[in-house]
Amino acid sequence: MKYELVSGFETHVELSTNTKIFCSCTTAFGGEPNTHCCPVCIGLPGTLPKLNRQVVRYAIMAGLATNCEIAEVAKMDRKNYCYPDLPKAYQISEYDKPLCEHGYIQLSNGRKIRILRIHIEEDAGKLIHAHGDTYVDYNRGGVPLIEIVTEPDFRSVDEAREYVERLQQIMRYIGVSDCRMEEGSMRCDVNISVRPEGSEELGTRTEIKNMNSINNIVKAMEYEFERQVDVIESGGKVIQETLRYDDASGTTSSMRGKEDANDYRYFRDPDLVTILTSREEVEEIRSILPELPAVKQSRYTDDYGIPEKDAQLLTKYRKVSEYFDEAIKGLDNPKTAANFIIGSIFRRVETEKDKETFDVPVSPAQLNELVKLIEDKKIQNNLAKKTLEKMLDTGKSCTEFIDESDLGGVDDGALEEMCRKAIESNPNAVSDYRGGKEKALMSLLGNVMKQSRGKADAVAVKTKLIELIAE
Amino acid sequence: MVTKQDVENIAILSKLFVAEDELDNLTKQMQEIVSFADAINNAPDSGEEFDNINNLSNVFREDVVVPSLSAEEILKNAPEQGENHFLVRNHA
Amino acid sequence: MIKKIHDMLVSKEASCTELTEKYLTEIENSNGELNAYVNVTPDAALAQAAKVDAKIASGEEIGMLEGVPMTLKDNISTKGIETTCCSKILTGYKPIYNATVWEKLERDGAVLLGKTNMDEFAMGSSSETSYFGGSANPFNTKHCAGGSSGGVASAVGGDIAAYGLGSDTGGSIRQPASFCGIVGLKPTYGAVSRYGLIAYASSLDQIGPITKTVEDAAIVYDAISDYDPKDSTSQGRIGAMSFDTVNNDIKGMRVGIAREYLDGVRDDVKEAVLGAVKVYESLGADVVYFDMPALKFALPVYYIIACAEASSNLGRYDGIRYGFKAEHYNGTHDMMCRTRSEGFGEEVKRRILLGTYVLSAGYYDAYYKKAQNLRGTIVKAFDDAFRNCDFILAPTVPMTAFEMGHAVSDPVETYLTDICTVPVNIAGLPAVSVPCGFNANGMPIGMQLIGNKFTEAKILNAARAYEKAAPENFKDTKWGVKL
Repeated sequence: MKYELVSGFETHVELSTNTKIFCSCTTAFGGEPNTHCCPVCIGLPGTLPKLNRQVVRYAIMAGLATNCEIAEVAKMDRKNYCYPDLPKAYQISEYDKPLCEHGYIQLSNGRKIRILRIHIEEDAGKLIHAHGDTYVDYNRGGVPLIEIVTEPDFRSVDEAREYVERLQQIMRYIGVSDCRMEEGSMRCDVNISVRPEGSEELGTRTEIKNMNSINNIVKAMEYEFERQVDVIESGGKVIQETLRYDDASGTTSSMRGKEDANDYRYFRDPDLVTILTSREEVEEIRSILPELPAVKQSRYTDDYGIPEKDAQLLTKYRKVSEYFDEAIKGLDNPKTAANFIIGSIFRRVETEKDKETFDVPVSPAQLNELVKLIEDKKIQNNLAKKTLEKMLDTGKSCTEFIDESDLGGVDDGALEEMCRKAIESNPNAVSDYRGGKEKALMSLLGNVMKQSRGKADAVAVKTKLIELIAE
Repeated sequence: MVTKQDVENIAILSKLFVAEDELDNLTKQMQEIVSFADAINNAPDSGEEFDNINNLSNVFREDVVVPSLSAEEILKNAPEQGENHFLVRNHA
Repeated sequence: MIKKIHDMLVSKEASCTELTEKYLTEIENSNGELNAYVNVTPDAALAQAAKVDAKIASGEEIGMLEGVPMTLKDNISTKGIETTCCSKILTGYKPIYNATVWEKLERDGAVLLGKTNMDEFAMGSSSETSYFGGSANPFNTKHCAGGSSGGVASAVGGDIAAYGLGSDTGGSIRQPASFCGIVGLKPTYGAVSRYGLIAYASSLDQIGPITKTVEDAAIVYDAISDYDPKDSTSQGRIGAMSFDTVNNDIKGMRVGIAREYLDGVRDDVKEAVLGAVKVYESLGADVVYFDMPALKFALPVYYIIACAEASSNLGRYDGIRYGFKAEHYNGTHDMMCRTRSEGFGEEVKRRILLGTYVLSAGYYDAYYKKAQNLRGTIVKAFDDAFRNCDFILAPTVPMTAFEMGHAVSDPVETYLTDICTVPVNIAGLPAVSVPCGFNANGMPIGMQLIGNKFTEAKILNAARAYEKAAPENFKDTKWGVKL
């Protein structure tokens, strides 16, 4: 029998605010243990939370960017459970009135992954287990998170991968999170069940907790899918449980013992007040959202005729697309600039992290200036490419490398003059060409280009040479 | 009706141990308190959800960093600490 | 009293150091019997007194509360000074920050004599659930001082503090004030910052003054009521300083009597309260009677909400970050459970369990949610009542101070003694308890004046009018500093 994967995601994304969600401590990653802490975020008796306004705004931005409805009335609740990394023994979260609901993210295959809700909450501290002892660091405690919960809409591992990548891309675009999985600022819980293909019923699901790389998500999902199919095929039943994925062995294993009864006893946090979001405020926030990657991509393909693959490369990182948008201002054909970015410039910006910041020595205005020269037929593509490399080496503008004499085309008379000169001084090449060696034309062409110091149009030169040799 | 099982369950959630010989008495006391609370069952209820007492909303803090305390200060009251962490030894 | 001390200091009739030493001596003499203080801080007190003396000597003006010796309930966080909530689980805990109220009073130059006794985590009505044992009533030490702010009431009633700050979640300021024959003001929810008050039930807790006179209550309330950016539920004092209007005429004020408040109240208490009604009539106030049937459910609503919040607020005591940690254990989970089981007293555990129960799956709707809905109903009942009156007059407690050991025997019976105080907390209203007589055994009887939100000035004004008309109800005891 063939089986189908059914999966949903709960993704925790750390928000890029300056301060924690309920106190004014920094959210900076790292730091010596327990140095980003205050009485509030270590939960000293008597302390009270005060909600960071920016957390609410960022969550609303995330909601709008994923097509959610923004709640007019939201509130904060306590999720009660005792664990050493949770200093108050409750996590302040949102239970039945989250800030955002009913959104979706559309995948490249056209399917929409429905987003059930996005709510704000606080992160827990970090536990380090050594020699059986437990060390607790509360630096991360109280860092703001949004939890993005999807419906069980994934039908393949590829869809899941694309979703995570898109989510990362969107959150980075709107600037609410850097979504660095390796630093834990984006973590996924994946629930998985299987069912016979064609069935509408949902199978018993398991949940794989806290995955921190796309590779692991893919491997864990593939493994868990196979495991569940095997269980069912061999006549067994999938048990609903929480799993962890072990990278080394490539397997999943059960995470919690039975003694941990889970009853979070949610109730409204009496230390915090209602969050009201007016429709005007929602529109105000919507208006400051940057153009989202999906919209940008179709603008590039539809309006500029850029191939889809290139458009994807240009929109993957917000900084790159902004650079591109800036560089093509006033140009007739953005394609040239696109090629320069994807070619010469990308070669020098290798890592993902560098593409994220996209801090290149050539400014968009400088690139624009260069491409303009091509469009005005003032210099040739080849020369422009070489010039760009020099610009990238030095950070200087193109005019530094092109002198006055380079500018302007080569007029027809001069061109013919140069071609004749080349033919006269290379009789061997001419006879080779006449003898059928097409390649011999290249040395003649090279000669003309040299005479013109690269200014001549190679196509025109070629045509002229053939014409003169045929005389 | 509060059962011994109920008391055991809520004791686990509350991270409290209830000794075997206390269980009967505690269950009885809990039953008394719960029956007393049951008085509200008959109360007329508008069904309207209670917000917060002074109907406050949108009380926010601006996103500006204030220097944190030193680890030494943060750990001052820790029953046990090690390497600038709160420390729980596995056995004692 | 506060003004008297202020005048003594300003006129140099006594130095602040002399005065502070006097209080410290009297604490030493009487605390063995009263058990009001759990932690006396003579060095800090004398250091502060010396500062005040230096200021006076240099001719600088001093504030009304500057140099006045006072005390704080042991659930108000004081930086560097042990703050235990009178629980074993917080023994040795020295906060690294100050409660906002203490920060304000310290800035105002208050002289803190020490921290005072209370029921463990403010859960109780006699201070006897304290890890340090109960506080005695200055009128008769066989009787308790009440609770949970019993230590403050015992200290102020016994004149071993000029005034003190308590906290009131279900009557914990007013009830001990009533038992000890003094004044206790529970402010409007949000008028005084809760930041640094170790939480019992966050939506009900409120800090307020316990004083010898109504005027003192007004002075202290004015000093501590302020908006605090650290407390999201804080609004501060709304309206004028209550001290400015406390001596105004009350002619034409409407005194409301809700009949439910007099149900099940002991005869001597009822008589004293009705006597006070006559005093008000004689002062030109009008009396209106009405029913408030919603009050019948106030007590269970209170216990459900308070215990639910408490079960969550008290989850953090796990032996990791502060306070007591179990000596022997096997693994982290076991350590947390043992710490809590050994560190909390019986009443606290009972309330944690009840709170967990009413919030747990399957019971939430029937108890917690229902209680929350009824909270709205009670709020509305008071809104309606205040359309017809300026304040509600009611007994503070249906009886006078119980004998020591009485309160701890039966939990439910003890809960019933809170019947008159809890509605105010449920509705977030201000109320001031004022002495209004004595029973046959000479134990004080108190009444409370309940006002609409943020009308502290009005109820203090009405209380002061009564105090002037019936001074015989405000008596000193044999204890403490005689000014």
